[in-house]
Amino acid sequence: MAVLKTILYLLVYPGLLFLFVYATFCEWFDRKVYARLQNRMGPTHTGRWGILQPIADFVKLLAKEDVVPERADKTLFTLLPIIGLAIVATAGLLLPLWPYSEDAVRMISFSGDIIVLLYLLSLPTLIFFLAGWSSTNLFSTIGGTRVLTMLFGYEVPLFMAVLSPAILANSWRLAEIAHFYQKKPLLILPNLLGFVIAMICVQAKLERTPFDIPHAETEIVGGTFTEYSGKKLAFFRLMIDIELVVSSGLVAAVFLAGFPGGPGIGLLNFVVKTLFVIFFLSLIRALTSRIRVDQVVTFAWKTLAPLAVLQLLIVILIKGLLL
Amino acid sequence: MKVAVFLPELLRHLFKKPNTVDYPFKKLEVPKDFRGTPFLHPDICIACRACERDCPAEAIEITSVNEAEKKFKMVIHNDRCIHCAQCVDSCPTNPVKAMEMDHLFETAGFDRHDLKMEWIFTRAIPKREAKPAVPPPPPSKTEPAQS
Amino acid sequence: MKFTIPIGPQHPALKEPISLRMTVEGEVIKDADIRLGYNHRGLEKLAEEKTWIQNIYLTERICGICSHSHSTCYVQGVEKLMEIAPPKRGNYIRYLVSELERVHSHLLWLGVAGHEAGFDSFFMYTWRDREVVMDLLEMISGNRVHYAMNTLGGVRRDLDELQIKKILDGLAVLRTRTEFYFKIGASEPTFVGRLAGVGYLSREKALALCAVGPTARASSISADVRKDDPHAVYDEVPFDVCTADTCDVLGRTVVRIKELLESYKICEFLLKNLPTGDIAVKAPRRAKPNEVVSRYEAPRGENMHYIKSNGSDKPERLKVRAPTLANYPATVEMLKSGFIADIPLIFAAIDPCICCAERTVELVNGRTGEEKIVRFSELRKLADERFKNRPVKRNAVWPF
Repeated sequence: MAVLKTILYLLVYPGLLFLFVYATFCEWFDRKVYARLQNRMGPTHTGRWGILQPIADFVKLLAKEDVVPERADKTLFTLLPIIGLAIVATAGLLLPLWPYSEDAVRMISFSGDIIVLLYLLSLPTLIFFLAGWSSTNLFSTIGGTRVLTMLFGYEVPLFMAVLSPAILANSWRLAEIAHFYQKKPLLILPNLLGFVIAMICVQAKLERTPFDIPHAETEIVGGTFTEYSGKKLAFFRLMIDIELVVSSGLVAAVFLAGFPGGPGIGLLNFVVKTLFVIFFLSLIRALTSRIRVDQVVTFAWKTLAPLAVLQLLIVILIKGLLL
Repeated sequence: MKVAVFLPELLRHLFKKPNTVDYPFKKLEVPKDFRGTPFLHPDICIACRACERDCPAEAIEITSVNEAEKKFKMVIHNDRCIHCAQCVDSCPTNPVKAMEMDHLFETAGFDRHDLKMEWIFTRAIPKREAKPAVPPPPPSKTEPAQS
Repeated sequence: MKFTIPIGPQHPALKEPISLRMTVEGEVIKDADIRLGYNHRGLEKLAEEKTWIQNIYLTERICGICSHSHSTCYVQGVEKLMEIAPPKRGNYIRYLVSELERVHSHLLWLGVAGHEAGFDSFFMYTWRDREVVMDLLEMISGNRVHYAMNTLGGVRRDLDELQIKKILDGLAVLRTRTEFYFKIGASEPTFVGRLAGVGYLSREKALALCAVGPTARASSISADVRKDDPHAVYDEVPFDVCTADTCDVLGRTVVRIKELLESYKICEFLLKNLPTGDIAVKAPRRAKPNEVVSRYEAPRGENMHYIKSNGSDKPERLKVRAPTLANYPATVEMLKSGFIADIPLIFAAIDPCICCAERTVELVNGRTGEEKIVRFSELRKLADERFKNRPVKRNAVWPF
């Protein structure tokens, strides 16, 4: 019975099927908001309001021809999308959705799982680099080096910004952090600076404008994904969508007091809070233009990192004074 | 250094109707003098071949079907036509010109040889008194030949 | 470690095929090699087979964005050959369409610059405003591109009161939007950070490499055919030549936005002072043997047509020198010591219209890679031989 329940958690909710459906819904929401901000329509005709458009794109990519370049390392080339998808889906399991309970420590909610989640979210960057490297294409190699160069910029502010509310809540467990902020909602306010920094860094991790340098279409054709096509590209795109859901879920869980309320209300809370974060991410995407990779590193180390340290100082002060 | 200069404009557009027209379910009107495809009013044409000479794309072909009865055949190859309306300008009949442009622009087809229009007509005598006050309506694409 | 990146012939940054091979070291470009000829269509040869009137439509189709500039440049030259002058009203309408085309081309360029820099919202907004201009041009001329307003001796269509009022309303809307884009272009930090300091071309180099158009005007060279050599309407219309002195891509953006505002002023002046009268004079079928060079300020720079006639109803020779061709050496100079990330922006800043510039061909042996420069007389002999054995015109069967 417990085995059956575990398999159901892994495959249906909050596992693969839920992540697939919700990730495509989030991509639709992102595309629709981006389009409306630019005074155009966005996906309209597939399904009501175009909701089925990302699923249609996924199915279309599955049906296309799969071309592997001659000099590429075939095993690595084929395995990378699957490993990437596995990594982000595992990261999705660690979000504090029902069923978890704050008292019992279980496989999906244990002390230190915020660090595991952040680590699992850094691995896709390495996967992108390896994807670019194993394609042996000039444009992919440049894309791969750009991905790693950006990693040197945004990782440190992201970690510092996401760990500050954890320090304030005195715990390394996502469920406990969420519970702490549900009990004392006013303590969300000192973390606002960290919220802004975390959103900018999440935008850089997901490689969206202004940080979509690694797969800049007008400069290096497709960047790391130039040689991918067919099923492998479908898995990569699904991986990026699920990464969007997991990152916004992480930001919502840590900064916006989690998803209380059991199965039904908890799911509603999850949807509302992640869509709120995704709305801001789409707004940043429509607002700015792409910047160069050296400007990213300069911006991250000269602006974001000092602000993240400032956020840590604020948290330490408040902890000392109030608690 | 101002941050997010574009923001008020972006947010304002969130509440406006999109500027895109939902073609093909809604279409825009074309203006009055739009240059669509050319067609012939066969009862006014005097077969002077000015349009055939001036067409830049060699899209008009006028051949004589019957010398005695002065019957001519005009074929307009719509796949070669560049929609410049020089044939309308070169046509010397007045007050109503024999060549006219209509407002059709959705003229795609599957075979380029289907895009021809033909007319077989008797050549009109220039300077006739009884001229039609209102030109007859343009033919639809499904009727290829008129006499 | 040096390696060669091929940008093109097919690349998302380019709208038309051209081959730029850059030698890079890391992210810095050391050298650039431009190869042309992918879009050669044989227009100059075709122009010798068509009559003067048919050539108006042929020259119009040299380019889609600057179609009216090629057509006007050609018609100006032929009117000189035939010694006819169009009436005043015809001239005013012809150059009104020219200025509206300049507006449409610069708005298109702003959108393309935004897209190359990754600023997609700016791209969508400027192209939405460009629809206003295209609807106005459709109302005046019957088509959104390839306006076909010119004929030998004037224009083909007239404007009535209702159309003039609609054009003035449309221009007022565009003017507010353009001033908004001026504000954005100067102050959005990510966009300015991409454009400033990129593609530097000093004034001396620009003069030495014969750059034309906004590329040269951004290096504070005040060269504009409308002011240096005013033809027809431009000595009566008051306007300024727009320059900038930053010599980089930001300067070129500023020059183009300023030119938009100047074009609105010119259009309003032309509309308010439109004289009455005919719109065209009758043109003869043949032209006397003579040769003429016609210059015109296209949105991209100075456009030159050389036309030679031999007394028949077809031209003997038509040579087109498009402005983009003059800007290629300056582009090579600008690309050196830039970053890879700046290549699309530097190339887009000269406003490349590659199909305008495809007049020359370099014969490269595909297998061995050797290049052969063939004399023009030999090329002409080869072409004439091939042409002598062509099928007779009337019985020509279109392929398949």
